[in-house]
Amino acid sequence: MGDNIYLPQLARIAHIKEEVGGERAIKTFRLEFENGGGFEHACGQCAMLSIFGRGESMISIASAPHIKDYKQFSIMRVGRVTAAFHELAVGDVVGIRGPYGNSFPVDAWRGKNLVFIGGGCGLAPIWPVIQTAVAQRGNFGEITVFYGGRSPRDIMYQAELEKLRGAVDVHLSVDKQEEGWNAFCGFVPANLMDKEPSPDNAIAITCGPPIMIKYVIENLRQLGFKDNQIYTTIENKMKCGVGKCGRCNVGKDYVCVKGPVYCWDDLKGLPAEY
Amino acid sequence: MEAILDKKNLNDWIAALDGWDAYAPALEDGVWSYRPASANAALAHPNTVQPPKGFAFPQREIFFRFEQIKGEAPRLTPVQPEPGRRVVFGVRPCDGRAVPRMDRVFADHVDDGYYRARRKDLAYVGLACHKPQSRHCFCKSVGGSPVSTEGLDVLLTDLGERYFALAVTDVGKALMQAGGALFAKAGASERKAVEQAHAAAVAQPQRGVADAAAAPAALKAGFDSPLWEELAQGCIGCGICTFLCPTCHCFDINDEVTGAAPLKGQRVRTWDTCQFPDFTMHSSGHNPRDTLGSRLRQRVSHKFRYFHENFGMLQCTGCGRCVSQCPVGIDIVQVVNRVAGSI
Ligand SMILES: Cc1cc2nc3c(=O)[nH]c(=O)nc-3n(C[C@H](O)[C@H](O)[C@H](O)COP(=O)(O)OP(=O)(O)OC[C@H]3O[C@@H](n4cnc5c(N)ncnc54)[C@H](O)[C@@H]3O)c2cc1C
Ligand code: SF4
Ligand code: FES
Repeated sequence: MGDNIYLPQLARIAHIKEEVGGERAIKTFRLEFENGGGFEHACGQCAMLSIFGRGESMISIASAPHIKDYKQFSIMRVGRVTAAFHELAVGDVVGIRGPYGNSFPVDAWRGKNLVFIGGGCGLAPIWPVIQTAVAQRGNFGEITVFYGGRSPRDIMYQAELEKLRGAVDVHLSVDKQEEGWNAFCGFVPANLMDKEPSPDNAIAITCGPPIMIKYVIENLRQLGFKDNQIYTTIENKMKCGVGKCGRCNVGKDYVCVKGPVYCWDDLKGLPAEY
Repeated sequence: MEAILDKKNLNDWIAALDGWDAYAPALEDGVWSYRPASANAALAHPNTVQPPKGFAFPQREIFFRFEQIKGEAPRLTPVQPEPGRRVVFGVRPCDGRAVPRMDRVFADHVDDGYYRARRKDLAYVGLACHKPQSRHCFCKSVGGSPVSTEGLDVLLTDLGERYFALAVTDVGKALMQAGGALFAKAGASERKAVEQAHAAAVAQPQRGVADAAAAPAALKAGFDSPLWEELAQGCIGCGICTFLCPTCHCFDINDEVTGAAPLKGQRVRTWDTCQFPDFTMHSSGHNPRDTLGSRLRQRVSHKFRYFHENFGMLQCTGCGRCVSQCPVGIDIVQVVNRVAGSI
């Protein structure tokens, strides 16, 4: 990247997986840097991906930092750039610059129980944390993952979630009951109240649509989680990623630099403009 | 370094600035704008409609060009700002004070190479104000002054037939030295005259923000005030207030396609504004600032609160453009005073 902070590196799509179909489809892309490029990242950081002629989108890096050969991104098709990503094939070359933002303080959580609560596309930003915790299983206490989608077809990372079982407690949910669904039926915050994870020596990490996060945090506090035990990410619109374009501004913070990871203790002091 | 420049020598000084492209305010179609200095430039202008911010941060700038033959990897060609030293004459002190504020933004966290490349070769020769340039000026109330040197390399003060020139920076000193014998030594009487002129300028009455020092805390306390929506009524969301602001720095990044096979185009940065609803609207339709009041609050709070929380100074320099040029008369001074006065 050198002196030109807006010039992306090039990366080739090595693998594409269709996670979720339908109108707001999600695909997971594995990107390998071209020309010996690359960068290190920490759990929770993002990258600005681009398709030349279409534009850029900020996307969470969904692979764990210890994976060096590629970086993985799960992209929901919502608009101009993301739809163009869904048209790409293995071998296509895209732009990537980053990493941007702060990260989850995973090392500081050693010895603690971790409760992950994700919804929709919100499993992607916390996936590197889950992967890191599982890779260092002995360093952490109980690990619990709550995750929900609208229907069974909206559950991303299905096979990977199943593989976690044993090392991790996995509680899936769908919004509405459907034939063949044996796990919880209802919204993610309700599933949380149904299982009542203990706040003792625990950290809760939640990510998903703003409305889900709002109710998850309310419920976590009801369960006895203190504000400094709750972490989330916020996703304001971003353009530059380097604290200059003003897009992601919330109060005094440029979320692309000070976020996207926030402890609720800090976030509650910012204007609720996210 | 202080010296005296006869007004009739101004153009010779500009001509003597070897290696510098000079710009000065010119009246074109009834609008004062910065233009390449003519051979008979005179500094007799009210403040320009556009501030000089575009010299360091142009309204539109190409980051790189891309070209891609179908099935092949794209080729990227970075575009760097054209090199060359530029000196801008006649910058009013409020616009001078905007310069270090913009410098902070573009150097904070990581350095923006495009801004730096332009800025390092830019000099500002300011012109002190004897009286407010318009009834909208309020520089004094936001920590500035009609004779402030902040952000300038040279400050000129009009003493009738002559300018009193004060070098503020080393670059300013070099500019004055390049004028050689065009400059005369400043004597005691000229020093006295400039002191008097400055004192008289500072004594000129201005409207203003009632208590700028208290504004950051007051706007924090007044965040949920119903006044924001009330005062924003009528805003047509044009963004003029921000585009003409000397310290507004928000921008957009977009791809412009100029050819299809092979794909050709460029990635460009353009000024943007927090006053447009889609500035913050997520693709889902969710908009964190979905009302006129929330967007007015963002603009005013950024100037008078958030910037102060980050950098310890107000971002507003009191030039008054957002007040004089707003098509519906929304007045930042009144907004700050009303919200701060209500808590
Ligand atoms: C920190 C962070 C992490 C994120 N992580 C993820 C993730 O892991 N996965 C994921 O799927 N999403 C993620 N997102 C959300 C993602 O960034 C947005 O969904 C995405 O940028 C939407 O881009 P789009 O072009 O598809 O949408 P659009 O709504 O189409 O457009 C967004 C921008 O594109 C431009 N644009 C759109 N249409 C046009 C047009 N017709 N002409 C010109 N310009 C146009 C505009 O400038 C607009 O601002 C994340 C966001 C943030 C901030
Ligand atoms: S100039 Fe006036 S009308 Fe236009 S966006 Fe600013 S406040 Fe609103
Ligand atoms: S994305 Fe530009 S300031 Fe955060």
